[in-house]
Amino acid sequence: MASSAADAIERIVAGNRVYAQKTTEQDPNAFADLSKGQWPEILWIGCADSRVPETTICNCKPGDIFVHRNIANCVHAHDNNTAAVVQYAVGALGVKKVIVCGHTRCGGAQHSLNDHDLGETLNTWLHPMRELRRKHKAELDNLPDDDARAVRIAELNVIQSLDVLKQHPAVTKAINDRGLTLHGMIFDITNGQLRLLEESGGRRANVGLWSPS
Amino acid sequence: MAGQDPKEVRKYLQQSHDRIFENNRKWAKEHVEKNPEFFNELSAGQEPDYLWIGCSDSRIPAEAITGLGPGEMFIHRNIANLVCNTDLNVMSVVNYAVRHLKVKHIIVCGHYGCGGVKAAISPKDMGLLNPWLRNIRDVYRLHETELDAIKDEEKRYDRLVELNVVEQCRNIIKTAAVQQSYKKNEFPIVHGWVFGFKDGLLKDLEIGFEDMLKGIQKIYDLSTE
Repeated sequence: MASSAADAIERIVAGNRVYAQKTTEQDPNAFADLSKGQWPEILWIGCADSRVPETTICNCKPGDIFVHRNIANCVHAHDNNTAAVVQYAVGALGVKKVIVCGHTRCGGAQHSLNDHDLGETLNTWLHPMRELRRKHKAELDNLPDDDARAVRIAELNVIQSLDVLKQHPAVTKAINDRGLTLHGMIFDITNGQLRLLEESGGRRANVGLWSPS
Repeated sequence: MAGQDPKEVRKYLQQSHDRIFENNRKWAKEHVEKNPEFFNELSAGQEPDYLWIGCSDSRIPAEAITGLGPGEMFIHRNIANLVCNTDLNVMSVVNYAVRHLKVKHIIVCGHYGCGGVKAAISPKDMGLLNPWLRNIRDVYRLHETELDAIKDEEKRYDRLVELNVVEQCRNIIKTAAVQQSYKKNEFPIVHGWVFGFKDGLLKDLEIGFEDMLKGIQKIYDLSTE
């Protein structure tokens, strides 16, 4: 961690200069190409957690993934912010896949295991996740520890978010018209690996849904 | 894709899907080879210095363009990097980052050539996007005189991108979380930046955090708990 406030800013300004220089060295036309526009194939809805930077963990390049990140990768039915992202990505840019990615050791999931007061804003945001805990109490109680319970809540939350996404008018239309697919994943912070959630449709025979074998 | 052989479409989708998993495995392997403890350290928790509020645009992965690794920057990305007072989504992120993670810096980063900003100034009904993009039209109205004086359309649009960042910084500073934390800890400090595709560099708009804070507190003072 940086030793002082000013150093922290200098560090990323310097980091950006290195990025710009290296990118140009590798491909002198890189920025000219990026300026032309974006054609991402994937919309990623992930957690704001600093340990899950989508483009880095998927070894992708700028331009590959359109991104929305919020607390605990929630898609709530009446959230204008996420709805606008989905509308733009699916309706205007025409992405081919939507990924909702949860992760292990998620603060939002851990805080959903109880009803401790996090302040009104966060309590309200996490309310649907805490409701999931109540709904799946029997299953969660059977798990060995809170780590396992937090992973399961994260999974259930991804599945619920996919269900909400399926009701979004742009998504419904794109599934019918051009075979848009939705995928649930969990990023395991303990080993850096992405895992596809079978329950989200992974191995079912629906057209366009699959999991890597 | 319409009209193509469904088998071909499926094969194509399968390949691009597998690529994500292959890439991810390669990335994880490289990190373990460099530092066997990498993921153990990451599992221990996060203590990011920064909160980044940026655009969803695929060309601006925050950590990559600032040279940071996993664990260093808490990130929210939405259409046109907006911070709306009534948006529980972004307010939860700001709240968690400031009150729980105690970030030292908040960076609002816009970018030239922003599709959201362009969409917002087109005279067109965009359905579900209307309420979101309305916030950008409001930024235009706040700075109408300055923007209308810029005759070159491209330059006017670039300036709106900058002014949008400045207004979103102001919106963050209006939150109770930021005002109370700054009063007590002297952080976080809010910065407004713009990313340019022509050179890949970040431009500091030098919003003058302290003056901006003092400026808004006549009306928006929420620093007393």
